[in-house]
Amino acid sequence: MSKRKHGAAKARLDGPPAIELERVTIAREGRTVVDGVSLAVEPGTIHLVIGPNGAGKSTLLSAVLGQTPFRGQIRTSFRGNGVVGYVPQTFVADRTLPITIAEFLALGRQRWPVCLGISRGARARIGEILERVGLAGMERRRIGELSGGELRRVLIGNAIDPAPELLLCDEPATGLDPDAVLELDETLVGLRADSGTTVLMVSHDRAQIRRIADRVTLLHVKVQRTGTADEVLGDAASERALS
Amino acid sequence: MSWTYAWWIDFSRAVGLPEAFQYDFVARGVVAILMLAPLLGGLSHLVVARRLAFFSTTLGQAALTGLTIGVAVGVPLEDTYVSILGFCLLVGVVMAFIRRHSRLPADTVIGVFMAFTLGLGICVLVAATRSFNVHQIEAVMFGSLLTITDRDLVLLLVLGTLVGAAVAWAYNTILADSLSPPIAAARGAPTTMIEYGFVVIVTVAITVSLKVIGALLVEAMVVVPAAAARNLARSTRGYLVWSIAIAALAGLGGLFISTAWRVPTGGAIVLALSVCFFVTLPVGRLLR
Repeated sequence: MSKRKHGAAKARLDGPPAIELERVTIAREGRTVVDGVSLAVEPGTIHLVIGPNGAGKSTLLSAVLGQTPFRGQIRTSFRGNGVVGYVPQTFVADRTLPITIAEFLALGRQRWPVCLGISRGARARIGEILERVGLAGMERRRIGELSGGELRRVLIGNAIDPAPELLLCDEPATGLDPDAVLELDETLVGLRADSGTTVLMVSHDRAQIRRIADRVTLLHVKVQRTGTADEVLGDAASERALS
Repeated sequence: MSWTYAWWIDFSRAVGLPEAFQYDFVARGVVAILMLAPLLGGLSHLVVARRLAFFSTTLGQAALTGLTIGVAVGVPLEDTYVSILGFCLLVGVVMAFIRRHSRLPADTVIGVFMAFTLGLGICVLVAATRSFNVHQIEAVMFGSLLTITDRDLVLLLVLGTLVGAAVAWAYNTILADSLSPPIAAARGAPTTMIEYGFVVIVTVAITVSLKVIGALLVEAMVVVPAAAARNLARSTRGYLVWSIAIAALAGLGGLFISTAWRVPTGGAIVLALSVCFFVTLPVGRLLR
């Protein structure tokens, strides 16, 4: 992943939040998994959502993507390229499907059907993406042959090219080795600084939260607390959530 | 339309094939197979990627029910495409809707529809046979070369071209949505439209294939080429090429078996497809 160094986040842009949730409630199998959540994610910030298992973090992200029905309101406000990147917690595609990394990445990067070949332009971009996530030269490897960490890098590469205006990440560090987690953090901070990307991310990694978060929300069905990393981490509820 | 298959008659004479292979209906069958192979073979790898194999079986059964409904209400047997397509579309779209909105597993929902379409088909069939001979619909159940007309070839050409163009236009989005709907949705793919649109595409492809392969066996042509191709392919491109090649090889092989031994075309094609699958299993292991 990117080794570039970046300064602090750019000054916040004026205007409405990049994502605004208003009294969002989600029920599954008759059980309320997210209850009346109101949250504002400011543009150009890295906003982390933390909480124990079953707290509704991934469900909330899925609702922002429009993949889960909810009550309440979710508003997104775009001022740039409007591109949304998403790194899922799990990638459940059939691992025996014969699709190479290059073909997977080409799906969103060329109009020509991927089964008929990859264009020269897409091939060049794919090479750059793979270099950026530390998988240079692995274009022809099949997705099903990748380790968990390698697959995670491919998904991250797919989500950050082109630099998205909004990046949603559901525990993107899962399966990555410590160095790769640091590189991921640098990539996210770089996107925020260089492209003004807004990041909404679920994480359990206390060190990562302290390294990159502008804002942290502790979620346990309801919003328990929102503030800076120092404000939210350290109290008993956060300790339980991250233990 | 005879120009599309006259070449086969000339070719079979030139290479000295038995006289049975020089008849017009066999030539029409060859052309139909050559049009169906890219259509169904090309679709098959997407059907398998979207885990719709069981779904296509149900559509084949719904086609039989659509046919019997058409015949029961007085539509001539050769004009039942509309009732087949209409009933299959209804079943396919309702099935997709319930699959999306039900808490039940997808295969359970599909199983319910499979039972429903078969039960309805049998009841209507019994009622309809009071006014016509049940053997008339054998061709649609099991596929028959004898019933393929020039009009069927035109329909296959036109609808096959439209389906092929639609799939080519939306291929990357369909495949991305098959791999991960949330990632596709994040990139702006209309996932709901893709789901229903693909159901319509598969339904049309199955409907135009019925006369050659048969309603009860069409699912094999939609699933087995991709299953066999998966044993050999190392990339999406290889997957497509192998799927089409296996569909064409098994289709022509089955047609020759059907002509030479006078067995139903659909059954012979499915046997040929099965042979391809079992041959590719060890070959695929050797290639790894």
